Amino acid sequence: MKKLLFLAMCFLIVTTLILSGCTTEEETGEETGEETGEEMVIRVAEQVPNLITPGAWDGQAFSLNSSIYDYLIEMDANTGELVPALATEWDSPEGKVWTFKLREGVTFHDGSDFTAEDVKFTLERTQDPEIGHLKAEDLQVVEKIETPDDHTVVITLAEAFPTFYYLFTDYNLAILSSDYDYGMLGESAPMGTGAFKLEEMVPKESAMLVKNENYWDPGLPKADALMIYFVPDIDSSISLLEAGQVDIVPQISPIIRDRLQGLEGFTIVSPYQESRFIAMAADREPFNDNNVRLAFKYAMDPEFLAQACQGVLGESIFYNETPIVNSLAQYKEIPFRGRDIERSKELLAEAGYPDGLTVELYYASDHPYGTDISQALKEIAAPAGFDLDLQGYPRDIYLAQHWMDAPMSITGWGVRVDPSMLLMLAYHSEGPWNESHMSDPEVDDLIDKIRNEVDPSVRQSHYDRLQEIFVERGTVINLQVPYLVATSTSVKDYRQPVTMLVQLKYATIE
Amino acid sequence: MDFLERFLKRLGFMVLTMVAMSMLIFFLVEIMPGDVAQTILGQAATEESVAALRESMGLDDPIHVRYLRWAGGFVQGDLGQSIYMRGVEISSIFWRRVGHSMLLAFTAFIFYVPVSILMGILAGVKAGKTADSVISFVGLATMALPEFVSGIILITIFSVYLEIFPIASLIPIGQTIWGNLNILVLPALSITIVMFGYVSRMQRSSMIGVMSSDYIRAATLKGMPRRYVIFRHALKNALLPTITIIGMNMGWLFGGLIVVETLFGFPGLGSLTLSAIKTRDIPLIEACVLFITFIFVFSTFITDMAYAFLNPKIRFKQGEV
Repeated sequence: MKKLLFLAMCFLIVTTLILSGCTTEEETGEETGEETGEEMVIRVAEQVPNLITPGAWDGQAFSLNSSIYDYLIEMDANTGELVPALATEWDSPEGKVWTFKLREGVTFHDGSDFTAEDVKFTLERTQDPEIGHLKAEDLQVVEKIETPDDHTVVITLAEAFPTFYYLFTDYNLAILSSDYDYGMLGESAPMGTGAFKLEEMVPKESAMLVKNENYWDPGLPKADALMIYFVPDIDSSISLLEAGQVDIVPQISPIIRDRLQGLEGFTIVSPYQESRFIAMAADREPFNDNNVRLAFKYAMDPEFLAQACQGVLGESIFYNETPIVNSLAQYKEIPFRGRDIERSKELLAEAGYPDGLTVELYYASDHPYGTDISQALKEIAAPAGFDLDLQGYPRDIYLAQHWMDAPMSITGWGVRVDPSMLLMLAYHSEGPWNESHMSDPEVDDLIDKIRNEVDPSVRQSHYDRLQEIFVERGTVINLQVPYLVATSTSVKDYRQPVTMLVQLKYATIE
Repeated sequence: MDFLERFLKRLGFMVLTMVAMSMLIFFLVEIMPGDVAQTILGQAATEESVAALRESMGLDDPIHVRYLRWAGGFVQGDLGQSIYMRGVEISSIFWRRVGHSMLLAFTAFIFYVPVSILMGILAGVKAGKTADSVISFVGLATMALPEFVSGIILITIFSVYLEIFPIASLIPIGQTIWGNLNILVLPALSITIVMFGYVSRMQRSSMIGVMSSDYIRAATLKGMPRRYVIFRHALKNALLPTITIIGMNMGWLFGGLIVVETLFGFPGLGSLTLSAIKTRDIPLIEACVLFITFIFVFSTFITDMAYAFLNPKIRFKQGEV
């Protein structure tokens, strides 16, 4: 019978060995290819993308899209300045009629020429209600798009909007080809003018991109190919990074950052901060009373909130009571009011809640920082008499069913390079995403003035006043949290400006 | 004739089960929370664009119309288009994953079936002795170990310390699974650990039962070599219950490996199902779940038939033997 045992074990071991031997050859081949520098391949583990055609996605397929498509204007990741991309010049004397000069000699990956018609097509597609484009609201101001010649686009707006051109850095306004069927092919064979072109794609698994030899910037891209793996689970992505099977993993959590920082061979990049807006709905009890909003703000403890997000206040985490992030020029520094529980209790008593109150707080439990912030809020607001009833949901359900209809909510917001766009969307009484239901005539008036004001210094004075109002009677607490990317140390020149669009065309592997 | 009658009856049942299950799956997916159109369009969507998208996807049609349209397409082999990735045919993702899962199921099968059966026989024949105690203990211990725990232990040993197998089952771009068969080993081993207990214990107890029966005693007393008694006489009967257990688990092995596939990042049917559910990709969820159901029903059917074929009591009407 011992023979039997021996036989069984032998069988198991032999099969295992046969299977394990199956790949050695190919793997070695690939590795030597990379090491000898014949081909520079950058491998990225990205989350499973939502729809990838620009305009109908939720910003998860950044590596793929920003490599395949180009934008009219780019942001320099080092200086934060806007630099020409597909548009070489843009100008508008009064901010109402905008003229964009387009780069000549640019071709799409299918060989067709890039012309003004493609820009017109892209903008009109964005406005089409059937597409359900994320930027449709922003383009409502556009009245007329003309193409006097192949390399000029003239856009006439309904009203003056001196910072209109900032819109063209947005990740959803990638320039598409007017000859291509994005409705049918956008998801399986995306095509643009970008530095890399799609070679092969297995939906939900991986995409292989190769260097666009005809790219308009002759020195770019630096790498020969880009391999993007769609890995649904962040922990699996990190395992792949640790095993050396990928080089870049975007959107990691602070806990993973802390773990990787203790190991050799990895670099953590924090290219920019994004916002978590804690919105207090001004159209219903209890936050329709500014005393209750102020009471909540007096109960805040920024340092504790920062710790809950595994960060350090002032370094990686920033606390603010206005929606304008501190990295923008329009930001006005207003000292924090300080935590004052007694004052908070007084304000609540004045508002008619001497014994405290219960508020439902809605948030996306699977979104980075969502659970950390909500639990920290519950703890720090309790002594003042706020009993937060935590309502966490998966992000899609939160967005579809509770966002915009909650007494209190935490939502992730990307940074708009031009803050007037954010103000118009979320804090104007007519804004389509006015999540805190702010309806303040003075705020509306200031936002309108900011959008139409041509003189930058006058515009800034409006911004200053607006931020004071937000601190006095605003409906939002803005917690800025870092966006984190893990790379292997061999990756050099990983660039990602605050527009969120990663510029892998500059990246190299040593 | 009885066998044919039984076959047809079971086949009829199988079809009925599939129809009932397809309805159940369709209606359950219907009542899942979250709106597809809203999910696709994301945070930005206005009510108007959500409504337009709902209409263009046919989400506004009555439920029975949508069920018939879906079931009709499915029968004709048309799995439809993913609504999450417009323009992508489900069949282009689906069959690739089915192939991967089949290969994994097959690998796991050749790992655990011979080992478990041989160990079960050993334990059964040596009942009460040290070999039996060891095998039974190992069987019980592995049965109690969930696959995500055994999977992590395997990863720690084979990927982190020994660095023999990859941590995650990644198929490099441009290659197929055939060039990367080593990604099958750890998932298959973790399935083996789960299944070993079930199968070896079943084999052991049926072996003990058979070994104490009269005909085995007669064969032994007749002076027949022990090996001959065990493999020729006892095993034939002792295998029947084990085959049932193995057959019943084929469905799970094939489509129920969501935990194992997710843990190892294996691109199979289980992880596809999970990602479909996460993205509310309804046609894809329906295709995956219905196919897994089919595998379950079909493997039960096959087991039933194999059992009937192997067991003359069922194969023939009483009295005909």
